Amino acid sequence: MTEMGGMAGSAATGGGTGPGDVTGALAAAAPVVSAAATARPHGLGVSVPAADADAKTQGTFPYAADLWAEGLLWAAVLRAPHPRARILAVDTSAAAAMPGVHAVVTHADVPGAGTHGRTVADRPVFASDTVRHHGEPIAAVAADHPDTARLAAAAVAVEYEVLDPVTDPEAAFSAEPLHPDGNLVRHIPLRFGDPEAQGEVVVEGLYRIGRQDPAPIGAEAALAVPRPDGGVEIYTASTDPHTDRDLVAACLGLPQERVKVVVTGVPGAMGDREDPALQIALGLLALRTGHPVKLAATREESFLAHGHRHPTLLRYRHHADAEGKLVKVEAQILLDAGAYADSSAEALAAAVAFACGPYVVPNAFVEGWAVRTNNPPSGHVRGEGAMQVCAAYEGQMDKLAAKLGLDPAELRMRNVMATGDLLPTGQTVTCPAPVAELLRAVRDYPLPEPAAPEDDWALPGGPDGAGEPGAVRRGVGYGVGMVHMLGAEGADEVSTATVKVSGQVATVICAAVETGQGFTTLARQIVQEVLGVEEVHVAPVDTDQPPSGPAAHGRHTWVSGGAVERAARMVRTQLLQPLAHQFGMSTELLSIADGKITSYDGVLSTTVAEALEGKELWATAQCRPHPTEPLDESGQGDAFVGMSFCAVRAVVDVDVELGSVRVVEMAVAQDVGRVLNPAQARTRIEAGITQGIGAALTENLRTHAGHIRRPDLTAYALPTALDTPDIHIVKLVEERDVVAPFGAKALSAAPVVTSPAAVASAVRAATGRPVNRLPIRPQTAAMAVQGS
Amino acid sequence: MCQSCQVRADSTYRTAGTAGTTGEGAAGLTTHAPQAAHTVTLPGSLDEAVAALSAMPTAVPVAGGTDLMAAVNAGLLRPAGLVGLGRINEIRGWQYQDGAALLGAGLTHARMGRPDFAALIPALAAAARAAGPPQIRNAGTLGGNIASAQPTGDALPVLAALEASLVIAGPGGTRREIPIGRLLAGLDMLRPGELIGYVRVPLLHAPQTFLKATARTGPSRAVASVAVVLDPARRSVRCAVGAVAPMPLRPFDAERWVSSVVDWDGERTLPPDVLAAFGDYVAAACIPDPTPAQSALDGTEPGTLPPAVLHLRRTVATLARRALGRALA
Repeated sequence: MTEMGGMAGSAATGGGTGPGDVTGALAAAAPVVSAAATARPHGLGVSVPAADADAKTQGTFPYAADLWAEGLLWAAVLRAPHPRARILAVDTSAAAAMPGVHAVVTHADVPGAGTHGRTVADRPVFASDTVRHHGEPIAAVAADHPDTARLAAAAVAVEYEVLDPVTDPEAAFSAEPLHPDGNLVRHIPLRFGDPEAQGEVVVEGLYRIGRQDPAPIGAEAALAVPRPDGGVEIYTASTDPHTDRDLVAACLGLPQERVKVVVTGVPGAMGDREDPALQIALGLLALRTGHPVKLAATREESFLAHGHRHPTLLRYRHHADAEGKLVKVEAQILLDAGAYADSSAEALAAAVAFACGPYVVPNAFVEGWAVRTNNPPSGHVRGEGAMQVCAAYEGQMDKLAAKLGLDPAELRMRNVMATGDLLPTGQTVTCPAPVAELLRAVRDYPLPEPAAPEDDWALPGGPDGAGEPGAVRRGVGYGVGMVHMLGAEGADEVSTATVKVSGQVATVICAAVETGQGFTTLARQIVQEVLGVEEVHVAPVDTDQPPSGPAAHGRHTWVSGGAVERAARMVRTQLLQPLAHQFGMSTELLSIADGKITSYDGVLSTTVAEALEGKELWATAQCRPHPTEPLDESGQGDAFVGMSFCAVRAVVDVDVELGSVRVVEMAVAQDVGRVLNPAQARTRIEAGITQGIGAALTENLRTHAGHIRRPDLTAYALPTALDTPDIHIVKLVEERDVVAPFGAKALSAAPVVTSPAAVASAVRAATGRPVNRLPIRPQTAAMAVQGS
Repeated sequence: MCQSCQVRADSTYRTAGTAGTTGEGAAGLTTHAPQAAHTVTLPGSLDEAVAALSAMPTAVPVAGGTDLMAAVNAGLLRPAGLVGLGRINEIRGWQYQDGAALLGAGLTHARMGRPDFAALIPALAAAARAAGPPQIRNAGTLGGNIASAQPTGDALPVLAALEASLVIAGPGGTRREIPIGRLLAGLDMLRPGELIGYVRVPLLHAPQTFLKATARTGPSRAVASVAVVLDPARRSVRCAVGAVAPMPLRPFDAERWVSSVVDWDGERTLPPDVLAAFGDYVAAACIPDPTPAQSALDGTEPGTLPPAVLHLRRTVATLARRALGRALA
């Protein structure tokens, strides 16, 4: 139970499956649990349940916030109350003198590098002379009780000279530098084709995308334990343990082997879920005090500290011919990176490369910038960059359709790309790109019946709500989107996995973190498939294992899944080689299933356990996909390993007087390569659609002059089961991607990217109003009612 | 600490002081009292509760705890003692007195949302059903909704429209009664040791409505809410608007006007344009046009409201129109 999958699942069960719903059929064909307990269905293509599902639903699964160690101290962090200020003095004496306080640390106590960051080390561990965003850490305290720690943190006296914050990203260009590195994090001027090209029809639009918070169900937490060798162990729900280890080691001035990050249960991750600054602070406090030190962040701290989705301003001009074929796209994209670079350069690359969407565009001119402001920090959130541009280019497609008097789906159909077409970056789309098939599937899916007038559950505002049937207008809208998989622009995407077989049990050791995306289940299925062993365990992750990289961009399905498969195949060869030799046949003629080894002609039949003769077989393998290259100075280059595509049709009801929106149904068709676990595929897509509905309608972390106004889950409205519509997975196109292990594409990001655009399109259709801002505000969705 | 230091799951707070680290600097002194060791009293009657509060003036009364305990858990509040009101049976139900219902302050939202209660005071039942997710409605009480006096408290506009009064229990068995508006406006505050015991609500035997506009379909706080009650005996329509101001607002002029238009002895229905006029009247009263000084301060055009406020006004107008329309339907 992580992320919003649970919520979406419950809503979808309530709604039932519609006609031709693909996963309904798949689930019927492959029951999750068969009656015969001895031979449950396993291997690829089967809905194998997650191994930790029972523990999570029963509440016994330990998360980082549940950890405890003998003699532990509690930490608290003092955070800046201003978005921008000069720090004149920090006095920790009063805090240090409080009974029960063991240590107070500030920037002066950081023994190693004072700054950290994933791509550029530009973020101070503790603000030393300048505060650059509301909530930036200034000091940390370890005390024997959480309350004492909190009080002591509040007793650290800081003298600020408050400065005017730069909160408008457009003003960042001309503002004085907020950081020694300057205000421009990255600029990509993409030039593709003929700048003089003109279309017969031109539409322009200005779009604004709000600040979505990843809002993991469990806030950040970590426990740091000092080691006798002067090092430290950090227990946390990191999604990228090796990077976190390297950052912690650099800032603590320790060699990497003296820092170990142990990954605990991950309570939901929509992006980077842990804050390395917190781990560095805890490590420092643990080394200072000689005690284990723990911190479980409050929701407020979580909202203040972690990376959010980049608020984005987009200006577009689309040129098309009289038939609606795109001629040229011009765009300016401005990403608000917040105070530090983090993953903004990568987000910008995705935004610029996918600025035209999955459409054939012969000429494209896109200027992209990511700039520094004093707003809350932006970072990696599923589908970053790609989601913001999708909302904008799909808005443009709606405008174009309206101007040409064409059906919005038809206009899109005339422009969709296919395998072999070029991205505006000059990269050829070599993977399957069944965009037309996806769009056709959602367009042709039967529309839901209008709600019965007496059914107040179906009204915007919900049961017992204020909705009135007479004021409700229905709208149907489309979104077609694309997102890249794996790290881009030359990132070394490598993963290492070890597979061990002993008796009837296989074990997988791989540092790919299970964030709820289902990697451990997938790893078990892969080993079951290759080795025919049903019982497969996946070992817990720590940084003593070789790195597997961050759980982001669907990379574990690809690279870690690929590494597990290779290791399993090597074990299989080791297992079968002696038998094959003995019987004078090649290993290819032997097959393993349900723990039994048989030859093609049936002469040989033995079990895996017998063939092992009490031995343990181990193999370790790596998976490294083909290299990519950075975008050059005109935004050209083969920057992406793979791409996935998605089409969504949204049906919404809008109460046009109140401006309240209810999403009635989302029909999804997705390009998945191959379905490895149908039940898991369904939950991933439902979770993604639900997150997209949040981005479209309610999720916006609002700031006022750089201050986060209300960092709580009452003001920041996540979708609940009541907000989640029937989600019909109309079609999963299984066209295998030949370069990906098993031909499978990652599932999670594409629906997040596409569904906000579809909801906006549907609200446009229902109200006739220009919807150019996400989340959609009630005053946008309300049609001005004259005089009545 | 050794490398194999045991790390295990444990959700309770423990202190280093108990784990043999008393040699530390301040010799094991800590600033905190362990979390569970507050004085907790669980009186069985209203007078016992008042006595417990009087005996320990720093203690805080707690009923559902949906606001209070969240603040305690977040470390924002450390009450020296708690007086639990959950065992006072006399305030957990309701009784009838002189044509009014005397509602116990300990009535939960879940209880008020049930059909038998809805038959008595429909608008309060509707507000209770809209007041958050089931977990909150099971715990949160009527008295708590009044005492916390949040602008978004869903029961408040209904009680304002009903012209409810509060029966306050004081030390020595005393009882005094104040109109709810005086308490919410801060004109008549609770004195030390006093508790809200009951809420006196007239039984009007006529339709009532409560409508709430929210940002999402799932449980959430009101952006604006409107309660409309009909009082056929006094031939009046009463209305209150919640969430747009620190306390519920009563648009008296609009009430008087619409009361004079309703045919109380006849069909009691109004044409759509009259309903709409009522809505606009209510909205303009609750969200007035800005004064020139205010416009200058906000930097807006004189006499115009910012779009978000304008939309809020439209929302109130729509809610008031629909609420009256449904009450008269």
